[in-house]
Amino acid sequence: MSIFSYQHFPVYAIMVLFLGAFLIAAIGRKAPVRHCLAVLASGASLAFMIALIQPVMLGGEIIAYWMGNRVPAGGYAIGIALEVDALGLFFGLVVTLALFASVIYSIRYMAHDDNQEQYYILLLVLIGGVLGLILSGDMFNMYIMVEIMTISAVALTAFRHKVFGALEAAFKYMVVGGIGSTCILAGVIILYAQAHTLNFAQLAALIPGNLNTATKVAFALLFIGFSTKAFIVPFHPLAADAHGAAPASISLLISGVLTKSGVYGLIRLTYVLFQTMNLGTMQFWLVFIGSVSMFVCVTMALAQHDFKRLLAFHSISQIGYVLSAVGLCTAMGISSGLYHAMNHTLFKGLLFLAAGAVLHETGTTDLDKLGGLSKKMPHTTVLFLIGAASISGIPPFNGFASKWMVYQATYMKAVESGNIGFLLVTIIALVTSTLTLASFVKVTQSVFFGQLPKEYENVKEVPFGMRLAMGILALLCVLTGLFPGLVTTYLTEPATRAVFNAGGYINAMMGSGYAESVMGANAPAAQAVNFAEVGVWSPISWLCILMIALLAICIVALSSKYDRVSENQGAKVEGKYDLFFGGERSVYSQVGGDDLFWGFKHNWRHYFGFMHELHSGVVNDYALWAVVALALALLYAMIVL
Amino acid sequence: MFKKLIEESTGKSPWLFHINAGSCNGCDIELVAVLTPRFDAERLGFKLTGSPRHADIVVVTGPVTNQSLPRVLRAISQVPEPRCIVTMGSCPQSGNVFRGSYSVAGPLSKYVHVDVDVAGCACKPEAVIDGLALATQILAEKRRAMK
Amino acid sequence: MSLVMDAIKYLVYILVFPGFLFCFLSGLLLCGIDRKIVARMQKRVGPPVLQPFYDFFKLCGKETIVPAAASRTTFLLAPLVGLAALVVIQLFIPVFNFSAFSGVADIIVILYLLLIPALSIIMGGAASGSPYAGVGLSREMVTIISVELPLVLVLLAVGKVVGNAMGTGLCFSLTQIVAWQAEHGSLIATPSMIVAAIAMLMVIPGETGNHPFDAAEAETEICEGMLAEYSGAPLGVYKLSHAVKMLTMTSLFVALFLGGIGGGIDRMLLSWGLTGGAAGVIAVLIGIVVLFVLCAIITIISISLIHAATARLRIEQIFKYYWTVVTGLAVISLVLAWYGM
Repeated sequence: MSIFSYQHFPVYAIMVLFLGAFLIAAIGRKAPVRHCLAVLASGASLAFMIALIQPVMLGGEIIAYWMGNRVPAGGYAIGIALEVDALGLFFGLVVTLALFASVIYSIRYMAHDDNQEQYYILLLVLIGGVLGLILSGDMFNMYIMVEIMTISAVALTAFRHKVFGALEAAFKYMVVGGIGSTCILAGVIILYAQAHTLNFAQLAALIPGNLNTATKVAFALLFIGFSTKAFIVPFHPLAADAHGAAPASISLLISGVLTKSGVYGLIRLTYVLFQTMNLGTMQFWLVFIGSVSMFVCVTMALAQHDFKRLLAFHSISQIGYVLSAVGLCTAMGISSGLYHAMNHTLFKGLLFLAAGAVLHETGTTDLDKLGGLSKKMPHTTVLFLIGAASISGIPPFNGFASKWMVYQATYMKAVESGNIGFLLVTIIALVTSTLTLASFVKVTQSVFFGQLPKEYENVKEVPFGMRLAMGILALLCVLTGLFPGLVTTYLTEPATRAVFNAGGYINAMMGSGYAESVMGANAPAAQAVNFAEVGVWSPISWLCILMIALLAICIVALSSKYDRVSENQGAKVEGKYDLFFGGERSVYSQVGGDDLFWGFKHNWRHYFGFMHELHSGVVNDYALWAVVALALALLYAMIVL
Repeated sequence: MFKKLIEESTGKSPWLFHINAGSCNGCDIELVAVLTPRFDAERLGFKLTGSPRHADIVVVTGPVTNQSLPRVLRAISQVPEPRCIVTMGSCPQSGNVFRGSYSVAGPLSKYVHVDVDVAGCACKPEAVIDGLALATQILAEKRRAMK
Repeated sequence: MSLVMDAIKYLVYILVFPGFLFCFLSGLLLCGIDRKIVARMQKRVGPPVLQPFYDFFKLCGKETIVPAAASRTTFLLAPLVGLAALVVIQLFIPVFNFSAFSGVADIIVILYLLLIPALSIIMGGAASGSPYAGVGLSREMVTIISVELPLVLVLLAVGKVVGNAMGTGLCFSLTQIVAWQAEHGSLIATPSMIVAAIAMLMVIPGETGNHPFDAAEAETEICEGMLAEYSGAPLGVYKLSHAVKMLTMTSLFVALFLGGIGGGIDRMLLSWGLTGGAAGVIAVLIGIVVLFVLCAIITIISISLIHAATARLRIEQIFKYYWTVVTGLAVISLVLAWYGM
């Protein structure tokens, strides 16, 4: 096997990141060298992932890679393995893409910070960890990668440690993230004790037929462990703190990448390792947690008045969509869930970068203090609006395509299973989408439109490098929204097939026929996946119609007196171009973001009051929540598995 | 054709913006009375708007006090062309009983061109409708005079 | 050649019927009828039925002032985008047997497209920089949230009923819903759909922002909210959008619940012995007239009646009303539909 063979690409992709980190530590004292190394490492990693699309996504191959070529002997897999199927590659692509955008953005964004070598080292190590987690083929390496990822994420959260709340956020993250990591470690230990192997494929063959109390406990532990990494309810307060305090380029990664690693872990755990997803109770579990996350976090976001905290809660809300869809255990559900996961990385990354741009220029992200920046930062405004329209699911952007599939998937599931509960999920999803829109209207009004405060008169547009990173993500948002057919065909459908192909996953690693020999008749065959019902939403035709209509209206408008526009140019008529203020001289009176949706909040005041008390900000409480969640998960796993 | 439609329509859809420049409220309620079922000025297309940006006709009541003068002028300047200014009641024309008071800056015609004066203290709704109809004709003429 | 013909055909659809011209004429006419009826109910003579046309053309002739604080492009472009989106929705709503763009029409797509006009007015208002607009857009957004939930439930119930009947479990395609009704009679005859129709009638004034749900544009409190800074032609476009939205919502109601009339028209033509291409054209022409009459009736029931009889609600009352009364009705209809009634 040549060293240029694509079989090696997964390990190269991880290695270049760690290598880049070491090189930056060694020779990255000078800024240009440091930036070059970071861009090269992240770009190379992305390139390796893209190169794998051909064999894995299109060819349907599952790459099993044994470090040092220590293949299984005597029926036991001892060596360290990487295994890349379409599911892993899908997440790998998302992760490396997000890293690339983040690095490009960081170059200008972090230009005025101290200790930049450490920043880039941690950045690369963080994503190296995530990528290792996703591509890893055995449990213990997965755990190590989880730890690398968590520790570096904690360090990066506190990177601007002089910012108020950064250290506190990092501490909270460390405590609850530590509980999560410990859960994963405990789960791994129990599984090892039971099955005497750490290899994923072998575990997937041995465990599902022989569930006992110990493995059920392990399942619950692993489930909670990955849940903390995905920040789903009840671990969402961490995300808010961490996203709010970290630099924007890191918030992008925490929201776009770390949560995805948790989602990946949950999918791998439930669909492949334990193969429990055909149980109705298990589907209920995931869908329930997803719906709760979706709704609770969107209402929490409505109550925020900090740009980044608001985005953080929306992250979890969108992860709720992903989990609900994935928990349906239908081809359409998983396909739409993965599609939404990818879209979430794109648009949420874009939004965080826009928030970072605002922070970079004005020094604050408080919605009550900002306003009217669209005149000063027109490009950032347009890019932000693309992101906001995407996350709110406004056609023709990508959020609409994937959310539409989620609705359809949940509704189809309700119809097929005859269970009206799934219908409730559709409704929650639709209402959540509207609330998301509401909260982005709030951001748009209080940051980019409205009145410009005096102190921001001299604000300028952000440097080109930052706009470039945002532009890449915005372009991808538009493209994935306009060509959903291509995305589903080339990315999500292979990944969905991989999710349903636990048998293939086992056999690719342990040698063909292994699954059948161990599991006998229960061996999971590659299920036939029917994509016929996957919604056909053709945005192009729709967009053409809209464009023609808009053009026609513009022509009519211009041929009439629409162009009789008068603006404030030289000839000063006193007060004519001022805002109407009941006759008064217009003064600064921005409507703050805090109470913008009073009519809504007033009716829900008891709920909001309850939530306010619950989110005390005390780390003890959050740790308690984690323990309670673990206890419930254990109980539920004992009863239903 | 389009120009003709616009000219036709300008006389048929005058929207009012009402400014109280220190009025005793007598004229104000008469203006509202004009819109009630009994007189129903809406059949002529009149409509009260909330913002000067939407208005065609500005109706000023009250003797224009020192305090209100800059506000009145600012609000009037915010009305887009073509526009008409109607004073309602005797106060904005002459100051009425407030004439000579230390706090009255009126009459309004000292500061802006007034198109129609409707006299009376308070003026009758019939007179108001008559005055507004006259203002509407002036409005249509102004529109015709624009390019 | 056929490509050119197709292009011309679609251009006619977009510009004339059921696109721009049709929306313009019948939307403003509906608005005029509404104003006239409200006036008659209040024992007034009321403005002429053509009053909205006068208003629109007058506004076209006025100066357009762009405030110094506004973001110029958004401020001027937002109304046009909103109107274009409304025209597109109208293209997707079938007129009985005729649908301009079948296949693209889907209830959820329409649900989201309905957000765009509201969003355009919010963006325009926000871009004007006026504090009145800030208050107005907050209320508009809460109104959207209020209306969205019952609307979603009603649409899901309709989809479920038609899906049950067709044996596919659910049906989201508006064209199919209308086609099914043409064959089997209007949906409003089924118990669950009566409830849904009532809920939908309540949703219409909220969605169009008519009295008493017009807290967002309250001219006496917040100077017409988001429109406070608009003048001239852009304001006219917003007024037009409002009128077209009335047409859109009422014709959506007709398509969802009264689609069976299309079958009636076909049978009537058949009994006259008309077949072939001529019959199709006549059916469409009759369809247009019938649609407009039905829209006017629904406008009178759901918009004018309530307008004349009630005073404006506060925003939190609007929210409460929609999330309790109307949502309750919609839930009942959905549950009934789920159990096949």
